[in-house]
Amino acid sequence: MRRQIVEIGERAGAEALAVAFYDYRHRLGWSYHGDRWFHAASTIKVPVLLGVFHAVDRGVLHPYSRVHVRNRFISVADGTPFRIDTSRDSSPEVHQAIGRTMQVRELARHMIATSSNLATNLLIDVVGIDEIQETLRELGLDGIDFRRGVEDMTAWAANLNNRVTAHGLLSALRVIADERHFSPESCREMLDILHAQEFKRGIPAGLPEHARVAHKTGEISTVAHDAGIVFLPDREPYVVVILTEWGAEATGRHSMIARVSRAVFEHVSDGDNTNG
Amino acid sequence: MATTPTAEPVQFDLPVIDGFELEERYRLLLRPDELMPDATGELRRLPRFFLEVDSWQTALTTQLTEHFTLSEFMVVDVREAPALRDFPRHIPCAVTLLAAQLEMFRREAGAPVYISANGGYRTPAHALSDYGSTHCWATAANIYRIGDEYLDTRERIEKYGRIASRAMPGCWVRPYGNVKGYADDHLHIDIGYVVQIPHGTPGERAQDL
Repeated sequence: MRRQIVEIGERAGAEALAVAFYDYRHRLGWSYHGDRWFHAASTIKVPVLLGVFHAVDRGVLHPYSRVHVRNRFISVADGTPFRIDTSRDSSPEVHQAIGRTMQVRELARHMIATSSNLATNLLIDVVGIDEIQETLRELGLDGIDFRRGVEDMTAWAANLNNRVTAHGLLSALRVIADERHFSPESCREMLDILHAQEFKRGIPAGLPEHARVAHKTGEISTVAHDAGIVFLPDREPYVVVILTEWGAEATGRHSMIARVSRAVFEHVSDGDNTNG
Repeated sequence: MATTPTAEPVQFDLPVIDGFELEERYRLLLRPDELMPDATGELRRLPRFFLEVDSWQTALTTQLTEHFTLSEFMVVDVREAPALRDFPRHIPCAVTLLAAQLEMFRREAGAPVYISANGGYRTPAHALSDYGSTHCWATAANIYRIGDEYLDTRERIEKYGRIASRAMPGCWVRPYGNVKGYADDHLHIDIGYVVQIPHGTPGERAQDL
């Protein structure tokens, strides 16, 4: 497995690669560079989702609570205001609601399914950075370093960035799959939201068509990630996290993630055949 | 000689409530007639009399002026105190004066005027009411869009600010800027710390003066 993963990474020209998975059927986990830190890109939205639903479970928010849609945020670095670039954000629907309100669950869905940066920062604002950090501490998610909202360029210049490890994201997704720390309703809602993911060129592209994946991608100029829970017929799911780092001009990122996803799928499938 | 009106006046029929008579759970949050410091630290007296609105449907169908319904001044989000997001809700009576002034502004602007969520009446218990802004008197409006134009640039905010100053005598327009006390993604207009005491409401009691 390790040799196969290393080869895929080397052939694709990735500068760094980390993989972690946990198979609920065989109660078996495996990782490669699982504790290496990467810029989180949009995978940080999974920990934000946990923070949102922790607030829901505590009664601070309700999934139907309404949030004022406003494109104005405050940098954690120096308190200066900034906005999400409308032309670069992937969800026009949230931008079209500026001045009005949207429900927490609608924003959460946009944050994950279309990776809306505006929805993400609105949810971070309403829940609070400190509260989300506290949630991650309570859950023991050491491999997630959540510092700020997205597109906070002043914070970026000050080297205040969100970071994750493969182990960290794996643990975050297991919190949802395990249904231990959150109410069953919140876990189901989070899974539904992750299942609504619209970017499918990573983990799902390496799987057979009958696989369903609840996942979150993340991509900026130098990283491309995917992290998800894979559901196959007649077996318990497995969780897989694939984090990659690239030169700014590199191509073939998604196909490489798909190949790693395929390798993990074949590995767990082989395990099924071996162990009945 | 008596004259008859030539046009049907805008009318609504909402009960006026003395804040002193409200249930304690509302009174503690709405703080009728209490003093609240404004942004400069000056103490201002909060409104005592409120229009009582029993449902969102009532708010939607209560036409304050030709183009503004009461509902447009009542949209708040999760930052409003939970007890005050439910009905019945209580809106200071001076909201009618603001609506009348905004109607004149709309006429001058020549396009529909959209008030943002949290941009009409905010109670003193609202999370954004860290000081007594005129939103707590229902005499302020945050306008994020006029016609098809979003007011998120200096040019547009200042353009419509000038129109407001012309159309609404005595109004105050928050200047453009990105620090506290300024606005850079909406136009804030208010008519000051105005309270309206409708006819038929109880007067001041001598022992309270």
